[in-house]
Amino acid sequence: MSETTHRTRTIEVLVGILATQVIVFALLFYILAEPERIEASQGQILDWHLDAAMTLYAGNCSVCHGLQGEGIGANPPLNSPGLQSMPYDELYKVIARGRFETAMPAWSKEDGGPLSDFEISKLAALIRAGDWQATGDRVVNLGLAPLIPFAADPDPLLLEQVAALPDGAVLQTAIQVYARQCVACHGADGLGTGIAPALNDLQVRAKPADELQRALLYGSPGTLMAGWENVLTPDETSALLVLIRRWDEIPGGAIPAPDVPVPVTTESLVLGEGLFAANCARCHGPEGQGTPRAPALNVKGFLTGVTDQALQQIVILGVPQTSMPAWGDRMSEAEIQAIVGFIRQWEPDAPEVAEPLRPGGGGGGGPPWLRDSQSGGQGRGQGGGRSAWAGQGQDQTTAGAGSARAGEAAGTALPADQHTGAGEGGQDGPPAWAGTGQEQAAYTTAQETSWRKDLDWRILLLATGGLSIAFTLIWLGFAALKGKRPEE
Amino acid sequence: MTEEGNPAPAPRSMFDRMRERLVPDGLPEDDRGRIRMVVNSLVLHLHPAKVPERTLRWTYSWGLGGLSAVLMMLLGVTGIILLNNYTPAVPQAYLDILELRSNVWFGELIRNLHHWSANLLIIVAVLHLVRVFLTGAYRPPRELNWLIGAGMLVLVLAANFTGYLLPWDQLAFWAITVGTSILSYVPLAGEWLSRLALGGPEVGGNTLLNFYSMHISFIPLLIFALMSYHFWRVRKDGGLTMPRGLDEAEPPISERVTTIPHLVRKELVFALAWIAALLVFAMLVPAPLEDIANPDVSPNPAKAPWYFLGLQELLLHFHPLVAGIILPGLAALAVFMLPFFDTNPASVGVYFRSRRGRSLTFLSAGLALVLTPLWVLLDEYLLNWSAWLPGWPALLSNGLIPLAVLLLPLFLLDEWLVRSFKADTEERVLFIAGFVFTAFLILTAVGIFFRGPGMGLYWPWELPVAGH
Repeated sequence: MSETTHRTRTIEVLVGILATQVIVFALLFYILAEPERIEASQGQILDWHLDAAMTLYAGNCSVCHGLQGEGIGANPPLNSPGLQSMPYDELYKVIARGRFETAMPAWSKEDGGPLSDFEISKLAALIRAGDWQATGDRVVNLGLAPLIPFAADPDPLLLEQVAALPDGAVLQTAIQVYARQCVACHGADGLGTGIAPALNDLQVRAKPADELQRALLYGSPGTLMAGWENVLTPDETSALLVLIRRWDEIPGGAIPAPDVPVPVTTESLVLGEGLFAANCARCHGPEGQGTPRAPALNVKGFLTGVTDQALQQIVILGVPQTSMPAWGDRMSEAEIQAIVGFIRQWEPDAPEVAEPLRPGGGGGGGPPWLRDSQSGGQGRGQGGGRSAWAGQGQDQTTAGAGSARAGEAAGTALPADQHTGAGEGGQDGPPAWAGTGQEQAAYTTAQETSWRKDLDWRILLLATGGLSIAFTLIWLGFAALKGKRPEE
Repeated sequence: MTEEGNPAPAPRSMFDRMRERLVPDGLPEDDRGRIRMVVNSLVLHLHPAKVPERTLRWTYSWGLGGLSAVLMMLLGVTGIILLNNYTPAVPQAYLDILELRSNVWFGELIRNLHHWSANLLIIVAVLHLVRVFLTGAYRPPRELNWLIGAGMLVLVLAANFTGYLLPWDQLAFWAITVGTSILSYVPLAGEWLSRLALGGPEVGGNTLLNFYSMHISFIPLLIFALMSYHFWRVRKDGGLTMPRGLDEAEPPISERVTTIPHLVRKELVFALAWIAALLVFAMLVPAPLEDIANPDVSPNPAKAPWYFLGLQELLLHFHPLVAGIILPGLAALAVFMLPFFDTNPASVGVYFRSRRGRSLTFLSAGLALVLTPLWVLLDEYLLNWSAWLPGWPALLSNGLIPLAVLLLPLFLLDEWLVRSFKADTEERVLFIAGFVFTAFLILTAVGIFFRGPGMGLYWPWELPVAGH
């Protein structure tokens, strides 16, 4: 046997021994770690199911069982210790098959509902082990927060008028109960909403009292109407029945719509801020201070006077005859609510008087009285800086935004430097309407990208690596082909 | 060891009897005994009793065929274990995988081993094919074994594809949905084929059952049968082709050494080393598992299994009939017909056949490396055949015409080789195969690493990360 085969054999034997050792020790360590791994993956899978269950809860359950499973009116709370310790099978059965003679329908696909077995079991896990605070946040982030817990304040003047009617006291009680418990679903003045029918209605008034009473006390199976037997006193029940049958006597506007503030979470505020910067800041100013194109939003008088619902309506439908477009078909409910929530959180610190940003004419920004004297040199200087920044990318952009912020923080005393300078730069970068430092900084970060900005070391590595391999191969091929021609 | 020659045989223990039953002749001590052992053993009999020492070189065969067999065995063992905890039903299949992970001892390890072995097998099987191609080892008398091997590669792909669906997660569901959608473009029988494979109009419980039964019975049985035949054929055709250097004119005469221990030791060490590596890999890297399959929510991008992404990439550029049926069909046909038109026996056993062959292969790979990405970029951003040829049927404007435009340079290159370099069939085959294979590899890489949401081009580090 030759020297090389001998060496090969030694290497092979060594590799074989090493491989065997690796197999043995790896298996040994794995066996020791296995119980821990199993436990960890059980926890991981539970978390994963709870996460999915929160979304299911937001989409299917929160409308009746409340933002955080606290229950609404007569609908039972889900965050109770009693349910947490309920056997899984029982929970599963209630969710899958529903509860007879209550508003709880069957959710299983087998029974005509929308949920699969797997989804129902996730919901059961949520009830037994869920975090209701986080669930509430999820409901809000998805824009599915229920309207129900919100009550209206009856108009006191009209309430006085009602008292003058025959049996006025009973009607007054009924209106107060309605404004507290029913208005969220059945709407202002009992005119109905998207989720519940009108009660202030001829056909309803014509129904016999016992039928109405049955619906009120025991709910209406197959609908969202829950039974209110345990929530309302007998007096309140009979008063409500009187109200329903005599609604034509009540003056309109006695029960206004409830004010439903848009709920916010940390995530929704971040989302709202981003959406505002990308969509609204262009016209309303990056801080909502308004521009000549659109009114200020960040001002006391506006924010205190408008409800969140009205804000949502404005965003969804737009304002006809103005440049405010309808955003309803471009953004989801959750996104619009996030923007409204973001606007609303300005309210505590909102200034009494708005100071809208003004674009200057002829390329210079800032107030007109400062435009001519200073803008020339300063403006061109910053304009030059801007084109350099467009080439250099991210660092400069954030610096620009930073300086814009600083300028604003300094207040209104020296707005001209910021505005004129950046305004001049606007000629070669963003369109002319980007008249001010703040706007430019906010806008260009989102809009302006240069192909050179995308270029980083990974792309260079990929391109040079690929090309050099390719050309080496081609060169090798050609060199060899030319070097050695066939003999014949 | 043996008792022969002992004047007074010692009383034999129970263990002696067992050993004698298992190894009647005792462990061999000389070459004669070793040869006898190989000849008398069912498994070892796959080998000849003696092999030329030269064919044992690592750097010739790279052990790729043997590794494929090892992986097959690993897949068989882990697969049978997995069968014990799996129900091919919706949604129980997915719940079973979750349970395998969270409630079954070593369940995750077995699944990971199965998953990674299956994926490695695809790579190894393709490399095996490439090795056999480059050394011309399919030449007569080995044509039939080449066909069997190529057929097994198809079966390995089928096994992997059917197994892909079994976890019934989003990844599985959409990869199979994308992968099977090509079936409906088969001319005439498309709809029928698609329904046959899926057991319905779309991927569902019936598909799962179909794929499951294929995956655990038909395909592995067929692979086992073909694999046995493949081994037998290797022996019948004279073992491995004799490795030869580029400058050696004649196949060298190599010293023959006994299979035991020279070949068997190599095989054992090789198998052990790969099993160790796979085991450690499977312990460290879990097989992917996403949310339960949801036909209502498609991921963006929805990609086929990674080994079909080259084809999916083609689908982005061509009419489905061209990209999904004609091109792969032609490629498969070329692979299967290869031993019947490339028959030069002189260069068997030489990597790249000759110096010129090597140059041409390098040249073609280099050209493909430049031209393929260039073409992908061009087609993505500039070329728009269907808009330039309005009113033409899509099969022409988006299929055959761009295909012709694309094949023309390849044809011209081939002509140029013939005219300027007087390339023979063998060299032309090397050049074209090198080009097409490299191009396919690059398309696959583009599909895997550069296609993001909406199947747009992205940098690999910009791709969204999915899954749990």
